[in-house]
Amino acid sequence: MNEPVFWIAPIAALLALVYARIFFKEMLRQDEGSALMREIGGHVSRGAMAYLWQQYKIMLAVFLALAAVFAVLAYHFHVQSTWLPATFLCGGFFSALAGYFGMRTATQASTRTAAAARTSLPDALRIAFRSGAVMGLVVVGLGLGNIVFWFILASLLIPGSDTGETHRMVLITTTTLTFGMGASLQAMFARVGGGIFTKAADVGADLVGKVESGIPEDDPRNPAVIADNVGDNVGDVAGMGADLFESYVGSILAASALGAAAFMHDPSLQIKAVVAPIVIAGLGILLSILGVYLVKTKEGADQKQLLDALGRGINSSAAMIVVVSLVFLFLLGMPNIWGIWGAVIAGLVSGVIIGRSTEYYTSPSYSPTRRIANQAEGGAATLVIAGIGVGMLSTAIPVLTVGAGTLLAFLFASGFDASQMNQGLYGVGIAAVGMLSTLGITLASDAYGPIADNAGGNAEMSGLGPEVRARTDALDALGNTTAATGKGFAIGSAALTALALIASYVEVIRMELIKAGTTVLQLGHGGTVPTDTATLTDFMTYYSVNLLNPTVLVGVMVGAMVAFAFSGLTVQAVGRAALLMVEEVRRQFREDPGILQGTSQPDYERCVAISTLGAQREMVLPAVLAVIAPVLTGLMLGVAGVIGLLVGGLSSGFVLAVFLSNSGGAWDNAKKHIEAGHHGGKNSRAHRAAVIGDTVGDPFKDTSGPSLNILIKLMSIVAIIMAGVTVSYSWL
Amino acid sequence: MAEKHLYLSLIPQALIGSMLEPEAFGSYYAVGAKAHVKGEAIFFEVDPAFRSEDFPFHLMDERCITQPDGAPKRSVYLSIYRVLSRIPVSALGNLYLVTNDGKTLELPRSVYLPEPGGRLHLYQEFCPITPMVASRSEPHDFCNAITDPSHPVHVPRLVFSELRIGELAVDPQNGAADDLPYTNLAHLRDVLYELKYNDTKPSKLVLKQVKEGVLYRMVQGGFYVGDQTDFAFYRFPDHDELENRYRGWWRSAQVTALE
Repeated sequence: MNEPVFWIAPIAALLALVYARIFFKEMLRQDEGSALMREIGGHVSRGAMAYLWQQYKIMLAVFLALAAVFAVLAYHFHVQSTWLPATFLCGGFFSALAGYFGMRTATQASTRTAAAARTSLPDALRIAFRSGAVMGLVVVGLGLGNIVFWFILASLLIPGSDTGETHRMVLITTTTLTFGMGASLQAMFARVGGGIFTKAADVGADLVGKVESGIPEDDPRNPAVIADNVGDNVGDVAGMGADLFESYVGSILAASALGAAAFMHDPSLQIKAVVAPIVIAGLGILLSILGVYLVKTKEGADQKQLLDALGRGINSSAAMIVVVSLVFLFLLGMPNIWGIWGAVIAGLVSGVIIGRSTEYYTSPSYSPTRRIANQAEGGAATLVIAGIGVGMLSTAIPVLTVGAGTLLAFLFASGFDASQMNQGLYGVGIAAVGMLSTLGITLASDAYGPIADNAGGNAEMSGLGPEVRARTDALDALGNTTAATGKGFAIGSAALTALALIASYVEVIRMELIKAGTTVLQLGHGGTVPTDTATLTDFMTYYSVNLLNPTVLVGVMVGAMVAFAFSGLTVQAVGRAALLMVEEVRRQFREDPGILQGTSQPDYERCVAISTLGAQREMVLPAVLAVIAPVLTGLMLGVAGVIGLLVGGLSSGFVLAVFLSNSGGAWDNAKKHIEAGHHGGKNSRAHRAAVIGDTVGDPFKDTSGPSLNILIKLMSIVAIIMAGVTVSYSWL
Repeated sequence: MAEKHLYLSLIPQALIGSMLEPEAFGSYYAVGAKAHVKGEAIFFEVDPAFRSEDFPFHLMDERCITQPDGAPKRSVYLSIYRVLSRIPVSALGNLYLVTNDGKTLELPRSVYLPEPGGRLHLYQEFCPITPMVASRSEPHDFCNAITDPSHPVHVPRLVFSELRIGELAVDPQNGAADDLPYTNLAHLRDVLYELKYNDTKPSKLVLKQVKEGVLYRMVQGGFYVGDQTDFAFYRFPDHDELENRYRGWWRSAQVTALE
């Protein structure tokens, strides 16, 4: 590799895995608590592993089948990269591996966090957060490690061509993009399956346990209580991890591909542009590790001090990447250093603003959620209406932020010259990388949430003392805040990554056209341009990608529809899976009265199995929709239609994801606000309305909303992967 | 041979003989033998030596006996009508509060110290009638007034608790009431306002029948039972004590029922 700084990336990836192992071992050395605590933790751990094993078996079958299809397309029909079958399997495998490590760590850490909370809040925070950091560091370590591996392999194996070194680099970067397909499909299964599992268990546990039988939350008599705890890990550890693994990998690969395209005129600059996002990600890893060590607090810390402790780690990493990335760009000798650095900042700042906006709209400390709680006094209907209204309004700031971030990144990187389309889009890719550069620590704060939540559940079920529950409650409340912010961050990064992927799509089309023998583009009015030097504008002209082209418009409408249909499918899936859980919990109560009397143990495993099977069965259709939509659109409407589909899907999917996540989060916290004693508190009429609102919002915020992140990225990556098929077999 | 107990249930009224200890009886009474039902309950343990012509106590000897399978007899109903009025306060032992879920909290008798006057009160009555009543009187005076046979509206004996009304206790017109759980707060304000400024009556009806069960979270002071000659007070633990000492019961008592 000609750029020595490139090696920062593999070293950082390796260090991430080393530190993940150190934190994991450190966690394992901690006291696991009493026999009862271990038994409860064991139930959750076995349930989580049983879920993962079941999901991975199904995924293996799907992945092998798709790899075979890709192999046929690549080796028989020659409309596919020959690398795809291998990169596809590899992407899926490593994303799944990250999920496995994260889940294994989280489920073992929650018992130890509860055990540490018996004596010390700082120790409990340290165990929970560093265990969360295992997930964060494994995701970035495996993600960046794979990117580096495939990049080096592609550089070694892809030969030079007649069109020169710059063309070869475009080929290398578009080839490595295929790694994203496996990660993306794995993320879809993890997010949708995890989302359905967690909400089926949650709704089932609440409806029969709390509402019908009148037993409290986290009561060991509830057969679904372990499934509920498993669900927290399945959704917020494995699901969120796979989601961000995909965003992380996708943003770096897309930025590299866009960099290769933007600097085709200069091979020495081109390699710098390709390497820059990879190295910035590597620097982000090093600073994330540093940030993890800054998260500490003192005994008796209040909520604000705990939040400050977490903020110190995350914000320090973000502040340092601002400085370090500038120094790195200087050392690399990139052109327009300040512009590219501005794009990094635009991405970082966008992430922070979206996180803050999510917190504003979903936290009970602010007026939107309090207004929803206020509406609860009018009953469930007014509360639901208020939540929908807040959810819709909450879309404004994230959309405008991503819009502003995109425009600024584009303008900074293009030197405020709109005609420099390629450089500008490279800036957009860099912005996505900037937003995700410190993912190691931001994901740690996400994965920390379910660990603290499960620790609280363990403390409750083990009957630990009030001072212990006070500590786990403080950690849990902190986790709720970080989870809300994390969801906003995941949505924002998904939107920016998808945008970068759409831009990369055109580069892949270029390669496929060349492969298919189209060396010259006919631009109308008799004009022509060589395919390998054509600009993005030339491609838009060639494919008539404009708003008056009906295929584009139809694509946009279909894309918007797919986001809604996908959400509908996932919401309905939760309802069906939850009904199975409700029936199972009722059956156990009916057939064994000793369960409610506390004299016999419920069959926890059966509930975990029901949620698992429900999730596996229900996740197939939404996943098929996400994969099939770009393929069919490509065949029927061609490249213009696919671009329309991706734009429509991104626009509506992004807005819908923010709406669903924030309305669900706001309903949840409006209930918590009422439970804190406002508007009559627990058992009041307002509380009953809030419980209904929270239940309605459950599949919104934890299934459909987060799954839309994957949809918009997966459709882009499928479009990229199937570009060869679209170019060769499109009817239009 | 298990000891025999006498329990006076308030919701609904009944005198029940049982071989179950109070906690087990509470669980059985709330959720049934197979836990297929649920329902709040409040009951007193009655002095087992208490006897009265009004009740068929011979059934205790005949039916409240160990079952053929060795199980203790769970319940033998001795009466289900006008029970409280026929058992003197002196015969009442500890009070037991049972949640929907069958968790039982035991409240022993406490010393009652009247509070200096000046503020308004809200009472939830449990037996023999179940209205919500606002009053200028502190609990002992209120009990005296409502059990006064010279008054056309009276009951022979009453079990009730006081409920928190926050700032409305001193300022019914402007006091903050947003966080009170009672239905129709405007009406409650009106009633309290009338009591404070206009009405000559010491108490006024707020709600004819409380349907939401016992609002434990709002209980202030505790539970009272009394008549013209006798008065007993059962202190209800404060929220910290509930959270720390009686957490299992307290969590169960706060579960929201949606039906």
